[in-house]
Amino acid sequence: MTTVQPQDIAAGPPLLEVDDLRVEFDTYGGSVKAVRGVSFSVAAGKTLAIVGESGCGKSVTVQTLMGLTPMPPGRITSGRARLRGVDILGRTEIGGREIRGREIGMIFQDPMTSLNPTMTIGRQIAETLEVHRGWSRKRALDRAVELLDMARIPEAAQRANQYPFEFSGGMLQRAMIAVAIACEPAILIADEPTTALDVTIQAQVLDLLSDLQRDIGTAIILITHDLGVVARMADDVVVMYAGQVAEQGSVEDVFYRSAHPYMLGLRAAMPSNSSDRRHRLLPIEGSPPDLFSPPTGCAYAARCPHAMRICSTTDPGAFSLGGGHTARCWLHGDKAPRVPQLAYAGAAPGLKA
Amino acid sequence: MWRYTLKRLIQGIITVWFIATATFLAMHAVPGDPMSGDRAVSAEIRKNLEAKYGLDKPLSQQYVIYLGNLARGDFGISFTQQNREVNDIIREHFPVSATLGILAIVFASLGGILWGALTALYRNKLPDIVIMFFVILGISVPSFVFAAVGQLALVKLNDLLGFSLLPVAGWGTVSHMLVPSLVLGLGTMAYLTRLMRSSMLEIINSDYLRTARAKGLPATRIFTRHQLRNAILPVVTVLGPSIAGITTGSFVVESVFAIPGLGRYFVQAVQQLDYTVIMGTTVFFGSFLVLMVIIVDLLYGFIDPRVRLA
Repeated sequence: MTTVQPQDIAAGPPLLEVDDLRVEFDTYGGSVKAVRGVSFSVAAGKTLAIVGESGCGKSVTVQTLMGLTPMPPGRITSGRARLRGVDILGRTEIGGREIRGREIGMIFQDPMTSLNPTMTIGRQIAETLEVHRGWSRKRALDRAVELLDMARIPEAAQRANQYPFEFSGGMLQRAMIAVAIACEPAILIADEPTTALDVTIQAQVLDLLSDLQRDIGTAIILITHDLGVVARMADDVVVMYAGQVAEQGSVEDVFYRSAHPYMLGLRAAMPSNSSDRRHRLLPIEGSPPDLFSPPTGCAYAARCPHAMRICSTTDPGAFSLGGGHTARCWLHGDKAPRVPQLAYAGAAPGLKA
Repeated sequence: MWRYTLKRLIQGIITVWFIATATFLAMHAVPGDPMSGDRAVSAEIRKNLEAKYGLDKPLSQQYVIYLGNLARGDFGISFTQQNREVNDIIREHFPVSATLGILAIVFASLGGILWGALTALYRNKLPDIVIMFFVILGISVPSFVFAAVGQLALVKLNDLLGFSLLPVAGWGTVSHMLVPSLVLGLGTMAYLTRLMRSSMLEIINSDYLRTARAKGLPATRIFTRHQLRNAILPVVTVLGPSIAGITTGSFVVESVFAIPGLGRYFVQAVQQLDYTVIMGTTVFFGSFLVLMVIIVDLLYGFIDPRVRLA
């Protein structure tokens, strides 16, 4: 069993490294272990997608990085997050630069409620520039119009003087993106940016994100539960399950050489373009474990079709498959039986999609 | 915006007409009239009045005359006080009531916003618990109790100091106004505190406040620019009705503190069935309240851009 260093994933020092992050929430019913040892890294200018079902801890992970997790009830029990090598957990600035808004920008799921209803769009963008760069109101507003234009909002100058209720959902999300990139952050965190939008608008917003990434060179952490979005946008993927990383690696590795039964299950549950009428969507039976008292072994064991005796007693830890591809699964152990659909270290690709 | 204002004004005029009509009918439905009863009015006044108001004419005709006078802004002459025009009574005593009411409203809204914001900031901590205790007290105790207790406290305070720090009753200077307006505004302030607290707490968990934090704004700026303004909206909404509550409450406070306001005349007139004074003061108070509600609504549009186009 090998533990993988985050550096394995990208060549050169990564922009952001998260190492063994653990977050708990104290409630009346006990403490919820929402994030249980998550490690990943993000390379400059690249896109990392974090996927997983609701409640798997993906939003808590990034909100903790941003210092947006309310504490209490939240509590970081261990772990580190370093931006360009400097620890950011529990801090609001590094080297005189604020982390929030300046180093890391963030956009949220529901654009309709994420902007202040009583402030013009232009002012909400300009505000960031006034605070972080000390610009005058006039200069910041002029830049806000340019940013709206970059976010492909037509008639940006007039639009800047309007209020959120005068915008449609897709337009608001573009305005949100303009807010988040105002200070040209090193990292843009997009927490389910297209979940609340209809499909055609989704595509436009995703295109906009990729184009802006190319133009200003920001890295993107994209949180989603839409595997289609992951395939379209991501360079690297982190698959989360019950507060842990089940599998991570490059998008090709995770999709075409899946090494964790959970990822196989997700793929089987995905609709495909296959014209074969016998192709059925296979749901993953059962439900995720209770995070008040997470299982001692593998969190997925109860739902896993390949579960062995060891799975319910001992946590597998991450197995490396090389090239930064890891899977948290006992099937990669020396004595485990081989599952035909699964990719193994050094072996030929298990399955072509 | 102008269209909206005009629309609201026309609606207001219709409301005032409705108030006037309802008062007229209600008043005439009450048995008796100002000239009957134990206080006999002299034959001279009776004759004059009958000539001017045609009290012997059918009700429908009286109504038309009444509306005509009202439209010209003539509320008529008091039935019980010789040669005293209702307009004079209002002109003389309304400024006193209005000053008291406006002071009370200013006090109530500033206090409500301040205490409400404080309780939300210190949610479930000591300041919150202490303030909310007084808020419950302020809501449940009626204003005449506060008036009496306030007055008693003033007497004791002046006794203790050996000189008169604040006058116990009467009207005239700023020091006369402080305690009565405080007492008058207390109930409303308690109500507004609760409202402000809940709307602040609602906004603390809102998505746009999370956005503001994610933008890296300083806490003070988030509080003033994003939280306070949005939290005030519900408070502004209830300001109109609150003004109504305060003006009606002022009758009690005025009599406890011996303030020569309009309230006293209003109550007296109803007891004596002094038609013209009842009509005059009711219609006047009614129009004042309608005007206040319109002003509050226009103000609301100023704070919340979503209302402007409505």
